[in-house]
Amino acid sequence: MDGLLIFATSMVTLAAIYGMVCMALNLEAGVGPLWDLGIVGCFGVGGYAYVLLTADPAADYQSYLFGFGLPMWVGAIGAATAAGLAAWLISLPTLRLRKEYFLIVTLAFAEVIRQFYANEEWLTNGVAGIYGLDQPLKQQFAPGDYPYVLMALCLAGLAATWALTRQLSKSPFGRSIKALRENEALAITAGIEPTATSRRLYVTAGAITGFAGMFFVWYNTLIVPGQFDSDFTFFIWAALIIGGIGSQRGALVGAFVFILLHDSLRFVQVSGEMAVALTSLRTALVGLVLILILRFRPDGLFPERPDRMTKGSRHA
Amino acid sequence: MLDVRDVRLSYGGVHAVNGVSLDVQEGEIVGLIGTNGAGKTSLFNVITGFTRGDAGTIRFLDNQIEGSSPAAIAASGMVRTFQTPIGFPKMTVLENMLVFSHKERSERRKLLGGARPDKALIADALEILAEFRLDGRADIWVQDLSAPEMKMLEFARAMMARPKLMLLDEPAAGVNPALMENLEGHIRSLRDRGVTFLVVDHNLRFISAVCERTYAMADGKVIADGPTSDVIADPEVIRLYIGTGPGEAAA
Repeated sequence: MDGLLIFATSMVTLAAIYGMVCMALNLEAGVGPLWDLGIVGCFGVGGYAYVLLTADPAADYQSYLFGFGLPMWVGAIGAATAAGLAAWLISLPTLRLRKEYFLIVTLAFAEVIRQFYANEEWLTNGVAGIYGLDQPLKQQFAPGDYPYVLMALCLAGLAATWALTRQLSKSPFGRSIKALRENEALAITAGIEPTATSRRLYVTAGAITGFAGMFFVWYNTLIVPGQFDSDFTFFIWAALIIGGIGSQRGALVGAFVFILLHDSLRFVQVSGEMAVALTSLRTALVGLVLILILRFRPDGLFPERPDRMTKGSRHA
Repeated sequence: MLDVRDVRLSYGGVHAVNGVSLDVQEGEIVGLIGTNGAGKTSLFNVITGFTRGDAGTIRFLDNQIEGSSPAAIAASGMVRTFQTPIGFPKMTVLENMLVFSHKERSERRKLLGGARPDKALIADALEILAEFRLDGRADIWVQDLSAPEMKMLEFARAMMARPKLMLLDEPAAGVNPALMENLEGHIRSLRDRGVTFLVVDHNLRFISAVCERTYAMADGKVIADGPTSDVIADPEVIRLYIGTGPGEAAA
């Protein structure tokens, strides 16, 4: 029973982290016009920035730069800033491209960034990664209770991301990116500059994703380049499509459903041989659900709905 | 208000706009007619900044605007419509209105995306929608409107933007006669509230009903201009529209 509880806690924690990234992706690709296939890029940059700022200096068997041992809140700001900056750099060439090309180039950029962590050992300790990273409030709680603390922190991060992305998508800025998604030429006649507006969106979503990267580091207590391959991007996309692209609630529910589908099989106690089979089965399970959703509920579990605003202000 | 001088635009060897000059004075409703391929829409695209012209000057409200971004030109008070009035399909009628309001224009650059619309702004939008009998449809997606409702919404949006000059690209295309009269009424009533119009259309009946003055284009050039009744009686214009002899009238 205890095992199940710990396992469920771990799943909720991971789902909360996925949820943050899902909401950032929903803001840019669901509400906005940017079909970003490189969201893992900013996620990794945020994670690495956090680690390099907050970790202790490298021991002699490792090599990575900085290791300032700075407080975690500095790391949090650094994670969001570095990811936002990375997004800004990526946006310079990519936002000149039309939808499909933007998608391909962002995918490529995310891969370039991953190769960068893997090869620039002086900065990141390469494929060996950086281990034994601190978690927040770790000392204040008994080790047995810590998983709940971490879950609470991630849920708080999720709540903050929900509030921020919801405010953004219902604001005048949110309507301007939705207008670009719907009809760019007409949006221009409303005085919306497509490139400048998209860049602001891309940087904002990148910063939120980088912030989520910090929670991912807390969850894993280590960072290696292999965590940031394009699988993660596709997982987030799958979660968003299952939940309902364009819908805030869909992004949230999609993340939890995805983690349930993808990771619940890990709890099944089986022989080593079976475990290998189950591992490949879990991706197949996600694929099956994705196909069923697209066939029977193509707009997701919680489809985008009209934003009703006249309630209470109807004068007639 | 709008002064276009010797504008040229060519695609490869084709001169889509070949030295066009025209002007629109404040408070006028000016027509622009011509057969398919005459260069009307190309000229529209150059004036509104969607396409960069090869040569010529365009002044709007005494500012030189050629080379400005289309969004900047729109923000300065010149709003165009498109041939298909689909709007923003998966945004509500009210959202379609809000996007065009001046309030949102200044808010959307602010931190956290700016303040959400207040009741006064929403009430303003609903009042304009009521004039076009769309207030009951405020909360539904534009893709769920009927075609005539979309057409009406186009004018409602324009009123929300409070433009100084509206460029209408074929407003009468695919419109039934009853709706056409309605459109004419709305154009006149907007003009009475200070909006100037430049209207492109094929439909001579519609143009002669709403435009006092008209330019006729053919092969990228202005071939006639003056009071609408004179222009549509111009032998050259008649020849282009109807053909040269009785035998070709069907063309």
